[in-house]
Amino acid sequence: MNHNEIKKWIRLSLYGELTNEEQSVLELHLKDCDECRNELEQQRNLLSLISNKKLEVDDKLLMEARVQLRGAIRNERQRKGYLDNMVQYLNEFITIPFRAVLSGAALLAIGFFVGYLFYGSSTIDPNKLPDKINHQFTVFQDDVTISNISFIDSDLSDGEVEFTFVAMKPVYLKGRVDDPQIQSILTYSMLNEQNPGSRFNSINAMYSEKSIKFDVDVKNALITVVMTDENPGVRREALKLMKKLPYDEDVKQAFIYVLTTDTSSGLRIEAINALVDAGKKGFTFNKNEIDLFKQKLQTDDNSYIRYRTKTILQEYN
Amino acid sequence: MALSDNELLIQAKSGNDTAFEKLIYRYDRSVLAIALKYVYDTDEAKDIYQEVFIRVYRGLKNFEMKSEFSTWLFRIATNVCLTHKSRSKKHLHESIDEQIATEDDEVQKYELADDEMDPGEMMINLDLGDIIRDAVDSLSSKQRITFILKHYEGYKIREIANMLNCKEGTVKKYLFDAIRNLRKKLKPIHQTA
Repeated sequence: MNHNEIKKWIRLSLYGELTNEEQSVLELHLKDCDECRNELEQQRNLLSLISNKKLEVDDKLLMEARVQLRGAIRNERQRKGYLDNMVQYLNEFITIPFRAVLSGAALLAIGFFVGYLFYGSSTIDPNKLPDKINHQFTVFQDDVTISNISFIDSDLSDGEVEFTFVAMKPVYLKGRVDDPQIQSILTYSMLNEQNPGSRFNSINAMYSEKSIKFDVDVKNALITVVMTDENPGVRREALKLMKKLPYDEDVKQAFIYVLTTDTSSGLRIEAINALVDAGKKGFTFNKNEIDLFKQKLQTDDNSYIRYRTKTILQEYN
Repeated sequence: MALSDNELLIQAKSGNDTAFEKLIYRYDRSVLAIALKYVYDTDEAKDIYQEVFIRVYRGLKNFEMKSEFSTWLFRIATNVCLTHKSRSKKHLHESIDEQIATEDDEVQKYELADDEMDPGEMMINLDLGDIIRDAVDSLSSKQRITFILKHYEGYKIREIANMLNCKEGTVKKYLFDAIRNLRKKLKPIHQTA
């Protein structure tokens, strides 16, 4: 085996990509070859030098990316919903016999086009084409709401308009808030509704003085809302409801996240109060968390938060 | 018990957005890390991140689950990186060659002033991170993505070949070329390190 081949193996070896046998062959060669040992050292230095570059994804960046993605997916869903509605609309409009007529017409059109290509431009007289069939159809019922009408052609000079719209139908549902189906819909809504009022109401609807058993999806959704919703009112409502959930590591981390990153002092107060309560109930904090509290004590511009942080730290001293 | 990728995938395919989020949140930090190391810009990395997951969202219905979700996802991620048009090409603002030239000048200056100057000291005023960033940035797009996936993200060559939809030998070639080019670019500081 030549040195060039061995040099390739050295690179693969540093990345743990050699088989045991190949590694043995390489090590045997290195014992007797100064040049290749030197090469190994150089490669190792180079890769270690490049590894010094620190470029890690922090939680804040990830959260920002997730918030932006959620917005983009909302838009995507709207666009998709609009397309689906159009397809459905066309499906209802174009009945099966009409589809056959349309297919025939399409074939005829292709025939005309081929004829046009072969025999010149004067073979088709537009005035002799049949009139468009005027379709009267009823696709809407009384409870369907039409919105987002968008005109493709509003020029009335030819007596026709062309437009698209979204047709929505309300669904009625009544049930207990501990019903998984109800929770699932409210969870979906708190994460995906565009209107912050609707997101707020979806969370508020699950809030009750009584003890309610929540699905784990509700907990995860609340944590997501608390950490990423752009509206502070919605985040606050989620935080309020989250305090009703059984306290665990996920919930604690969400409170700490709010305490350390949220721009609203009201929310940070809710979070520190929840953490103080948890501490009183015997829940513990690790060294990193205590360090975060110490940092908060020095840096938070709100005196109440500094005071409450001090309370936690005193408990742990 | 946590649901498997495939279980979440089936729910996501039937329109369950919560399942979709759970599924992508298993991998999105890695996707963002790859993007960030590829473009060295947080805004552009977020653009890539969004583009990847929008493509995943759009493609979900047609995904036939013949491969692992993660393989499919990272294949999309690498494709988006490779076709990404940088808003402001980073290496235009200051090339590695210029930095190395500057460093050479510094060496000469120090040599004139004091023959016994420790070469390590001349590194103090240079931002090592920037030099390495420019060196990686100067690689061709395929060399760069291969190097990032292997060196920073620790994927196996076989996995990278799957993501890039090419043979393992091709991945090795990209990797070796990347290392050779980096070695050339970083020679001045590499030898003092």
